[in-house]
Amino acid sequence: MSINLIYSFREGMLGLKRARLATTIAISTVAITLTLLGIFIVLTVNVQRVIGLLNERLNVEIFIDNSLDPLSIKLLQNNVSSIEGVEDVTYISKEEALERFRGEFGEDPLAILGENPLPASLLVKIKNEYRNPEKIVTVVESIKVLKGVDEVIYHGRLFRLIHQYSKVILAIDIGLFFIVLLSVILLVSNTLRLTILSQQKNIQIMQLVGATINFVRRPYVVQGVFQGFIGGVISMGIVWVIVQLIRFRFPHLLVVPLHVLIMPLLIGVLISYLGSLMALKRFLNA
Amino acid sequence: MIYLTDVWYRVAKNQILSGVNFHVGSGEFACIVGPSGAGKSTVLKLIHMQIFPTRGKLVVADYDVKEIRLSEIPYFRRKVGVVFQDFKLLEDRDVFENVAFALWATGVRRKLIKRRVFQVLAEVGLSHKRYAMIPELSGGEQQRVAIARALANEPFVLLADEPTGNLDAEASEDILKLLQRINRKGMAILMATHKEDIFGQMPVKVIRIREGKIVP
Repeated sequence: MSINLIYSFREGMLGLKRARLATTIAISTVAITLTLLGIFIVLTVNVQRVIGLLNERLNVEIFIDNSLDPLSIKLLQNNVSSIEGVEDVTYISKEEALERFRGEFGEDPLAILGENPLPASLLVKIKNEYRNPEKIVTVVESIKVLKGVDEVIYHGRLFRLIHQYSKVILAIDIGLFFIVLLSVILLVSNTLRLTILSQQKNIQIMQLVGATINFVRRPYVVQGVFQGFIGGVISMGIVWVIVQLIRFRFPHLLVVPLHVLIMPLLIGVLISYLGSLMALKRFLNA
Repeated sequence: MIYLTDVWYRVAKNQILSGVNFHVGSGEFACIVGPSGAGKSTVLKLIHMQIFPTRGKLVVADYDVKEIRLSEIPYFRRKVGVVFQDFKLLEDRDVFENVAFALWATGVRRKLIKRRVFQVLAEVGLSHKRYAMIPELSGGEQQRVAIARALANEPFVLLADEPTGNLDAEASEDILKLLQRINRKGMAILMATHKEDIFGQMPVKVIRIREGKIVP
């Protein structure tokens, strides 16, 4: 490591120590804004996850004509499998359907009616890219024309609703994300700018005695990145604690992958780095 | 060493310098004398390349203002020591750090920095105050620190902009004697002041300036 890099790091750290109050304010500001961003990201990821889960549970169900023999049913299953947009087809026999009915409703139609009224069916899982109101209709239409199909149930209205609302929620999410991100950028870079502004005289002196722009810039960038990093770590800790508290009350409500938890920290470091560079650019040009 | 040939400088509609001509040779002690607002500081700023002439030729050692690239200016400034009326010291650091700073900026090794700082502090008579904080020093002592910092990189010329402007008579005399001693060792000095009489019998080349023009 060159002597100037050692100097930059040492100066950056000493600068933080010298201006303890400004450093504390800057780190607190970064931590608070990144916590808001972190909470927002966790919420967004989980809302999208719930929508995805709902969407995944919507399948197409085919009731099979009662007169079909096992070979024809197998043929029908193969034909459905070969339709574009179909990911998987599961056969549910009349007996399995009866078992499911008993499990779900707690009543036995066989005992009431004396025979099993439930038809055999095929449960069709649709590929993700076909899970929208327009494309699913084409799949359903292709199924309806097949021989042996009695009825097709596909919750078209629900598909449309989920698709429509997921789009709206995604648009709101993206809009809010940019608003929150912009607020974080403005707050963090402005805080760093004020820290650097208080050092303007020092920067001027450095330039007068022949310090290169890089030499002047580096300690302040080190300071900015350090503040962003510490603020980011604190915000990560706060978000983690909030998530744990919610999980304690509602164990399966939130899923927070590590990269989601780390994202605000990375954003904080990046914004601090760029914010310091931008603030310094103005002073160094002056 | 320093050559100004028909140098003009203008800010918006204000003509600050008009056709300034003079030169300062190696090892010479020159002084720009003139009332406030005559353009003395502007001349020093031009020589230090903080600003650039509107027209005319300005050469400092091998550096021609018209040819120098912006990225070369920091390296040029290391060879031109500068002191100011208001000292321009880093007040949150001690004497040692203020002088060492000019050497850190050039990538000098720590051991050499220590040796060189002790050397220049001895030269300006401040060895005993090397760990004092700047606000603890008198005006005269602060100016000595500024001179030590300017000397740290062994410049070929020392520019001094009203170095005694904020000092009492006794401290001013000390600073002038110090500058004279530095000059005797071979370093060129160009000093700006509005008080021509402060030099007494000192052998100084006087350059008089009035309203941005050199006058006899």
